[in-house]
Amino acid sequence: MSALRHDAERLDAVAVDRIGQALQADGLWLDVGAAVLRVQSASAHLAAQLRATYPAFPFQPAGEWADVHCRLEPAAGLRRWLRPQVVFSSDARVIFSPFPADAPLPLFEWGCNWLIGQRLNHHLLLHAGVLERDGMALVLPATPGSGKSTLTAALALRGWRLLSDEFGVCDIEQRRFKAMLKPVALKNESIGVITRFEPRVALGPLFPKTRKGTVAHMAAPADAVARRHEAAAPGVVVLPRWQAGHATLWEPIGADTCFAALAFNAFNYQLIGEAAFDAVVHLARHCPAWRLTYSDLDDAIASLERLWAEHAGRGVRP
Amino acid sequence: MNRPAPAWLTLLAEPQRAVDATLAEWQQTVRLARRLRLLGRVAEAVDAAGLLDRLPAPVQQHLLAELRASRHRVRALVWTAEHVSQVLAGAAYPRVLLKGAAYLAQQLPIAAGRLPSDLDILVPRDAVADAQRRLQAHGWQEVELDAHDQRFYRDYSHEVPPMRHPQFRLELDLHHTILPPVARTRVDAALLLARVQPSGWPRWQVLCPVDQILHSAAHLFLDAELRDRLRDLVDLDGLMRHGAQRPGFWPELLDRSRELGLDEPLALAVEYTSNWLQTPVPASTLRSLRQRGPGAVRRAWLLPLLDTVLTPADPDALPARSQDLAATLLLARYQLQRLPLHLLLPHVWHKVQGRRRNRDDGDDAF
Repeated sequence: MSALRHDAERLDAVAVDRIGQALQADGLWLDVGAAVLRVQSASAHLAAQLRATYPAFPFQPAGEWADVHCRLEPAAGLRRWLRPQVVFSSDARVIFSPFPADAPLPLFEWGCNWLIGQRLNHHLLLHAGVLERDGMALVLPATPGSGKSTLTAALALRGWRLLSDEFGVCDIEQRRFKAMLKPVALKNESIGVITRFEPRVALGPLFPKTRKGTVAHMAAPADAVARRHEAAAPGVVVLPRWQAGHATLWEPIGADTCFAALAFNAFNYQLIGEAAFDAVVHLARHCPAWRLTYSDLDDAIASLERLWAEHAGRGVRP
Repeated sequence: MNRPAPAWLTLLAEPQRAVDATLAEWQQTVRLARRLRLLGRVAEAVDAAGLLDRLPAPVQQHLLAELRASRHRVRALVWTAEHVSQVLAGAAYPRVLLKGAAYLAQQLPIAAGRLPSDLDILVPRDAVADAQRRLQAHGWQEVELDAHDQRFYRDYSHEVPPMRHPQFRLELDLHHTILPPVARTRVDAALLLARVQPSGWPRWQVLCPVDQILHSAAHLFLDAELRDRLRDLVDLDGLMRHGAQRPGFWPELLDRSRELGLDEPLALAVEYTSNWLQTPVPASTLRSLRQRGPGAVRRAWLLPLLDTVLTPADPDALPARSQDLAATLLLARYQLQRLPLHLLLPHVWHKVQGRRRNRDDGDDAF
């Protein structure tokens, strides 16, 4: 596979038409770190949307192995004249309900994420944002209402290396985090929060009225893409909670709470069984953990950086 | 008609061939076997041969992932069956495991890596109401159905609506026979129940070995949905190979298929498994089934259709378009055989609409 990569251009350096041709031929192959996705499509919209949200990824129009193969094709039937739609299928089977024809990207993202969550059971898949600094992982588990994607996006925009916004991919044998580097899906208010936080942010198009409301995808920074095959050792776990008007508050939490936040939000903790239990125990023992309540992103990040400098990698609980 | 099955299927019987396949061949195998629900069986066969770590890294990863997934499903099935067994412990009638659960309880070779979907059990018809009552008292509830589906299950089906329990992920399908009572092919459940055997799990029984084969054949060849059903042929192949180790197996199978009125599905099952999967079937059995199975005229139109729908679509194909016409024709044929026309047409219409409505929308986590 490496032979195919050596002269690859960045996706945003390639004309939309050429990406479209690749999508109609053997597909576009996206190596996101812990998985390779291959997408084929005759959609008139997908090429530009992928180019806007995967700009720093290599343009790879052929490959040998992909973990997920998918197609996004215009829906057949009379409906195509009235309300055109796009259909997601994988390995010749339709998996999701169709989306409006001009919104193939959110369908691609949801479809691939669902397939990754179903299939990549050789790794422990936490539901968490993961970023790296000093070779160590900052893990932000997605507890309900955590605003994990907002904080993950903000940190990625302040120089933390993004590994993943959705899947905390933990290599069970090596006890290290791998990247699953896809765009960060921002929903509803968090879109405005992030554009105010960093006006130069690279956002894809706005998709209103999806199942999750309005969605926009933030592209992974170029450095994160270049380093997507570098793993990170377990570092610190933070359970974020955004609360309007709340001053930044850090509360240390015990290994038991940390264990529950990691294990019970995971995609395949139960499925893997004992090996997953051992891995999560290892993480909970070795990562100092806090609950963070905040309303001001800049303040939260500044205090996180102070905390990180004191604790990361010491393996000592606060 | 002499279409062989995909080459990778030979891995189930000869896993040592796993090390010869190229990465590109594995890519196709993994994609297709997963869709056909056979990847777990491939993974268990390769693992049992001790060859997993000699395969290319991405193949190892996907096979390991599938081993975990299928073993997890098996644990869930065993747990569910144990629970249901306790719920029905006081009942005086036999409780019979069907299909996947039965293969597991008997520790048949085909159970290794076979991905179970539901727990299928059979009780005598006059015991269904009692079994339902006991299950409901322990938190099992019928899934919500619209009025049409409720009427269909109550009046015309061979099972009651599937039941769910908040603690268990698998659905429970409670059957009282193996074909719908309105089908033109009828199976007398009393004949099946007269020959049930201990299963290996406490308080559960299984159909006798030849009945398990006939059930699997009827289930495949009298069902409406034949696409991606290669796994059923693989099951039948494994059941026959296993059964044939016992002397007198083939004559017993033929006698029983006549007794139960299942000659045609058995003839088709033997025809396809021997042609596609090289199941060793004695020549006398083949001859006898040729006479009893579908006649020349019927074979001339039926077999090409079956070939088309049983051959799995290429993973790179557009979903299901090529096979749609053949599949629809077959669907009509089977539904016609099963249901009187005045019931069939509204039912097919309802199913087509339902398929549009109930597409799997996956997980809501994203």
